Amino acid sequence: MIEFDVRTTDDGIGVVVPRGRLNMVAARQLRETLTGLVEGGTSRIVVDLAETTFLDSSALGALVAGLKTARQAGGDLRIARPTESVLTVFKLTNMDKVLRPRDDVEGAFHG
Amino acid sequence: MDEARGAVESFEAPVEPESLDLVQDRLETFWAHDESVSAADRIRFEMALVEIVGNIVEHAFELDADARGRLLTVALTLGPDRIEAVLSDNGLPAAIDLGAVTMPDEDATSGRGLALAVAAVDEVGYERVEGRNHWRLMCHRNAD
Repeated sequence: MIEFDVRTTDDGIGVVVPRGRLNMVAARQLRETLTGLVEGGTSRIVVDLAETTFLDSSALGALVAGLKTARQAGGDLRIARPTESVLTVFKLTNMDKVLRPRDDVEGAFHG
Repeated sequence: MDEARGAVESFEAPVEPESLDLVQDRLETFWAHDESVSAADRIRFEMALVEIVGNIVEHAFELDADARGRLLTVALTLGPDRIEAVLSDNGLPAAIDLGAVTMPDEDATSGRGLALAVAAVDEVGYERVEGRNHWRLMCHRNAD
């Protein structure tokens, strides 16, 4: 089971926090959440993975789709605080360069 | 647990996306048989298992197939030196060459599942036997 927290910071950055497992069922929701943010005018997005206990290839696909959508709208999608399990998926799929993990949510769009 | 034989568990699940959570819940309980399995081994085994179940859910049946007839059997074995899963379903034959599976480009939004499973564990096998698909995953247990 999964829950998504979605908030927008004072400087207009969308923060998505998936809590639980990001598998095939949740990937669909993640994709819709990211698209919804960009369509609503928030094209700078941080996905905070600190409470994501598991992530599969379909969720990875949703992140890549979100990244493309955000960039097409002039923004970007960044990843913060992945768990060991999630980081393993990034490394095994060579996606750790593209979805370069940041140490914290606040600094994901700075520095 | 019996060290020589290991822990064995099998269960059935309908072939639908929601079964992913069922499989992951059952695996979580299964680890309780032997708490010495390392975090790294648990992660890579779960990853491969989820990708293969996901592949079956996505590809083993025609979209209009009768949902009641789609069944997946999962058998898990945990021994002192290896972890294994055998998945069996009554779906369509998988047209797959596991030796030719490659990771797609970084901007691909799908197609990483089998490549991830192959990268995560030590062995991934597929065969069609008597009208059923059989997938086998094996991971050697590492100390750390």
